[in-house]
Amino acid sequence: MSIFSLARTGSVLRRARGGASASALERTGRHRGPRDGEWRWALLFLAPTLIGLAVLSAGPIIATLGLSLTSWDMLEPPTFVGIDNYTNLLGDARFLTALRNTFFYTAVSVPLGLILALGLAMAVNQRIRGISWIRTMYFLPLVTSSTAIAIVWLWMYSPTGLFNNLGSVFGMSPQRWIANPTLALPSIIVMSTWQGLPANVIIFLAGLQGIPSEYYDAVSVDGAGRFARFRYVTLPLLTPSIFFTGILALIGAFQVFDQIYVMANPGKPGGATITLVYFIYETGFRNFHMGLASAASWILFLIVAVFTIIYFRTQNRWVHYQ
Amino acid sequence: MFRVSRVKRAMSLAAIATVFAAGCGSTAVTPSPSPTPVLTAPATGASQVAAASPTLNPAASCGHYTGPAATISYAIWGDTTELANQQKIVDAFMSMNPTIKVNVTVADWDTYWDKLQTSLAGGNAPDVFLMDGPLYPDYQTRNQLLDLTPLITRDGFDTSQLANLGVQDFTASDGHLYGLPRDLSTIALFYNKKMFDAAGISYPDATWNWDKLAQVAGQLTKQVNGQTQWGFYTETTDMENYWSELVWQAGGDIVGADKKTLLIDSDKAAQGIQFLQDLIYKDKVMAQPTPGGTGDLFENGQAAMEADGSWLVPSHIAAGIDFGVAPLPSGPAGQATSVNPSGVVVYKGTKSPDAAWEFVKCYTGPQMQQMVANLKASMPVNKDVLANVYAKSFDGAQTFADALAYAHLKPSFRGYNEFTTALQDELDSNVFNDNSKTAKAALDEVAPQLTKLLGQ
Repeated sequence: MSIFSLARTGSVLRRARGGASASALERTGRHRGPRDGEWRWALLFLAPTLIGLAVLSAGPIIATLGLSLTSWDMLEPPTFVGIDNYTNLLGDARFLTALRNTFFYTAVSVPLGLILALGLAMAVNQRIRGISWIRTMYFLPLVTSSTAIAIVWLWMYSPTGLFNNLGSVFGMSPQRWIANPTLALPSIIVMSTWQGLPANVIIFLAGLQGIPSEYYDAVSVDGAGRFARFRYVTLPLLTPSIFFTGILALIGAFQVFDQIYVMANPGKPGGATITLVYFIYETGFRNFHMGLASAASWILFLIVAVFTIIYFRTQNRWVHYQ
Repeated sequence: MFRVSRVKRAMSLAAIATVFAAGCGSTAVTPSPSPTPVLTAPATGASQVAAASPTLNPAASCGHYTGPAATISYAIWGDTTELANQQKIVDAFMSMNPTIKVNVTVADWDTYWDKLQTSLAGGNAPDVFLMDGPLYPDYQTRNQLLDLTPLITRDGFDTSQLANLGVQDFTASDGHLYGLPRDLSTIALFYNKKMFDAAGISYPDATWNWDKLAQVAGQLTKQVNGQTQWGFYTETTDMENYWSELVWQAGGDIVGADKKTLLIDSDKAAQGIQFLQDLIYKDKVMAQPTPGGTGDLFENGQAAMEADGSWLVPSHIAAGIDFGVAPLPSGPAGQATSVNPSGVVVYKGTKSPDAAWEFVKCYTGPQMQQMVANLKASMPVNKDVLANVYAKSFDGAQTFADALAYAHLKPSFRGYNEFTTALQDELDSNVFNDNSKTAKAALDEVAPQLTKLLGQ
């Protein structure tokens, strides 16, 4: 699981960054690359990353494509089965459940995470006393392990946990946040949105602080209010940051694993919360179907690739570089 | 959010690194000639001696290793406490066999299997590793384990000194042993003596049946000092503790002896699982299970009885619960419980098969089994130690030991994990965590999928 999916994260992320800066280059015309004759040095310094990518990412990615055409249990030699794994997956109820859950998770968590992060970034982008302490508190989830977070949230979601206690104050009946199949995935989305906030907030904060104050002065002179300042200055100039965090959030959401894995322990994630990467892990490492798992990871790869391409295609319509 | 699975990767990289390190370590061992231990009997004619009295054959017992000096790795699942416990047992082994060095590695349950499969695929697995009974066929049939039968025969090792069900579980379809059972776990009924005394109810005993359990659990479910005291607690997330017992007690079964026939979809099997659902939703004597767990309510002093495994004894003692142990209440078709042996197996590609076998053999012998018994965390597989040491080691130990007489082996077949995941997912979602279906309806729903899995 980890090798395949991480390989993808790495390569797609690098493409994302490369793509963004290339467009910036076209627009500004600034020369940012190495000068002539310095390419050799550039390659030398890039070599550790490039070799790592080739050996640890590109190799396994190509290998899984081959393996996805075989029946392989890791312990006995693989046998070639053509595209059987792919056709079997399309009729596999558990795979389709995982696919549906993953799409739901992505569709809800990405916009939710971006909107909240933007709001929070604007809130902490203030010059008030103690702001550095407030910022530190918001950034804590970033340096906390997924496992520790999931365990604490598991307690908060438990039948006698924080949320039910808070709810009872307002007369709400106790909910079974994780046990209820309808609430399980939304509950996990809330947790991972909270967990993912600081990373996005940092990028938005940098974006906000990179907006020259002259723009605000100019629109103020034109009589713009708070909303107009946000709508016509902040938002357009923040679109590169939104674009960047958006692609990271999108790919991350398609690959959600830790939260599902830990929240469901002990016991295993039921049909309500199983996601694609969990399905790949379970199929390959628990049930000895590494060929099938490889096929599933290629389907995931294609899904991520298609969404990434579509996302990049829309870039010209809404992303504004200064 | 975008750091998904980085932890996992770090873990697997660490695992790979460990495997590499372990591999380098074992290949670097110099095959120096070992000091020959003093033999007390000639090697010739050993088999006749073994037939008469196995202890007279030195090769059949521990501490007479004459093979090459070796360093072997021994992988287990568990936590740091388990590692410390196993290290003591391994130290005892090394003092009996000074020419063999054993390195113990531990990983949590999930990581253990990830590491094992990766290292087997890479041809660099631990020399000896722990094996769960139900998963044994997955590895045995894939030709990963060393056939121990020739070594057993060579040394005149007497397998009848080990619990029969344990040996049976590790006997492959060809009749050979590709591992030996290390210890056993059975399921019985723990009860909180104080709660029974406070209510003036006599302790559970062998006469109890399902009705009696539900009735007394009802009497013991009440508010005590503003907190709910539950009459009963068990885990619902694995057939071993304790719905498979209920299925057997109702006269049903899970799969046929051929491991190809599905039996869990019978009315009798459903009756057993229905009893557990009723304890939760109809009798309301047990807290509604929740994924992630409610914690062990018995161990927390919030439940009067618990149907669960012998492995809980040390933590129940540590929690300060004054408990007793009774046989499980019997069902319409009589008494039954579950036994699950874990075993030690030898990697087929080991460079030190003799040293690895010596370790496996010693583990089932009296000295090391006595140490297993002292831990109270599982039942020794050695019959003699089980009857004379373990059974007397705490109040209730005899009940766990006696349960072997009516125990069924936890199902064990190739593809067990996929089978049990599908079955348990259906039961968790619709029968135990929620009562959206009756046991019968849920089993009917999942039966076609299970039949398909058994046919693969």
